[in-house]
Amino acid sequence: MGFRRDIADAFLKTNEINPDFVEVAPENWINMGGYWGAQFKEVSHRFPVFLHGLSLSIGSPDELDLAFLRQVKNFIAEHDVRVYSEHLSFAKMDNAHLYDLLPIPFREDSVKHLVARIKQVQDFLEMPIAIENVSYYTPVAAQMTESEFINQIVSQSGCNLLLDVNNVYVNAFNHHYDPYEFISGMPLDRVAYIHMAGHEQVSPTLIVDTHGEAIIDPVYDLFDFTVAKLKPVPVLLERDFNFPEIRMLNHEMNQLRSIVNKYWIKDVVPA
Amino acid sequence: MLYQPDTYKIEQDLSRFGRTGNDIFIPGATEEGLRQYRRLLRNNINNTMVQAFPISRQVLPDDEWNELINLFFADHDAKTAQIWKLPAEFVTFVKEKDYATLWSKPWLNDLLYFEWIEIEVYTMPDIEAEPFTLQGDIRNGTIVVNPEYRLIPLRYPVHLYAVEEAKNHPGDYFMMVYRHPETREVLFADLSALDTFTFENIAHEQLSLSDIAAGLKLQFALSDQHPLLTNMIAFVQEMMAQKLFLGYAEERK
Ligand SMILES: [Fe+2]
Repeated sequence: MGFRRDIADAFLKTNEINPDFVEVAPENWINMGGYWGAQFKEVSHRFPVFLHGLSLSIGSPDELDLAFLRQVKNFIAEHDVRVYSEHLSFAKMDNAHLYDLLPIPFREDSVKHLVARIKQVQDFLEMPIAIENVSYYTPVAAQMTESEFINQIVSQSGCNLLLDVNNVYVNAFNHHYDPYEFISGMPLDRVAYIHMAGHEQVSPTLIVDTHGEAIIDPVYDLFDFTVAKLKPVPVLLERDFNFPEIRMLNHEMNQLRSIVNKYWIKDVVPA
Repeated sequence: MLYQPDTYKIEQDLSRFGRTGNDIFIPGATEEGLRQYRRLLRNNINNTMVQAFPISRQVLPDDEWNELINLFFADHDAKTAQIWKLPAEFVTFVKEKDYATLWSKPWLNDLLYFEWIEIEVYTMPDIEAEPFTLQGDIRNGTIVVNPEYRLIPLRYPVHLYAVEEAKNHPGDYFMMVYRHPETREVLFADLSALDTFTFENIAHEQLSLSDIAAGLKLQFALSDQHPLLTNMIAFVQEMMAQKLFLGYAEERK
């Protein structure tokens, strides 16, 4: 599960949440001292830490921020991080951070750019990274399908895929395609990690990926379909705000576990 | 960079739209989707600032607050990769654009700075203190300072009064903001000019209180340094109890 300040006590004090690993955004914790710095040290001492970045902006034309990436690299070493993932999107433009994930045009030149950037990041960090399919709310001048785009990037860059099943559902709804067909068309042998989350329908035609709601049944169904096709990989329950009672979060974790246990060996459990 | 110019421009337009809401055209884009990005991006910036500056948000009228957020997002190129540090850039932006004068709110810069400093001190990386003991000679010993502090000068006492009152009391104020070494809570203290002088001599020159008082006596040709020293001792004792001072440096043998 994602470690967030709002539910920190359930991880560290009451032990109500006891995941097999935690995921955090490095941007939220790098150079953090004081109370929260100490809390994070305890988290990284007790749980394996996965990093899920927000600001690297792999999809923007701006130069990579190598000073920041250096900090990420140090953080990875300091906390013995096993997985670093980022998004297939851009979050920086004209030298300004935007602090959100904006969609990249699905085009040949962006594939080339992204492949070079992912390789640059992997070389710098001396480890493979996983790249996540993001939710997007409008098409932007696409010249190929999202599926083609992802497949080309993964195969040419050698990176892993962080498959966010909820994002597939959200995009399938927003852009009118079949989520099952989409999943089947993904490079499933390269999936290293799965995200599951809730979302919010903001209008009859648009769903937004909020991480603030419970996972809905059709996304569980899609997850079941996905898991059946995959070798065992870590699964994350993403919840960033609007937290329910802890038992509801554990209920969601158990739902994911029961699906996973139908297909995978027992020792790989969602967290 | 391997983008073709038109791909580059599409991303640039999307970013400009997110930052300003000004009309753009992107082939294939839906208006609903674009507006959603504008909403998400602006909310993100606004929420970050509301959280960082709850008092400023409350005392500024909605139209002024919204204008600040809009202008900041549109005109300022955010430098930090860590959004929780962005409020520091907001403080500088508002100061440089001089809204304090423009809107006749002379206390505005101080208030924003005051609110940001609390976050800065709460989150700043840990700093290890010099070794110390709790027993020592308060007059002649070397006093060890809690290194996790910021001492900031203020023109308006926004740390003492609500802004409507603070604006009637311009002056030279010194606010000490520091982190309690055990609880890690942020504490505030209003320091007098003498306290500030004493603190800086302890922190930067490692002078004893006797040395500081003797220096002042000489500088101002005072007949008696005793009242000064009494004052300084009271300050150090009080702030040692409050953990701004941690104790005494171990005597060098
Ligand atoms: Fe995700």
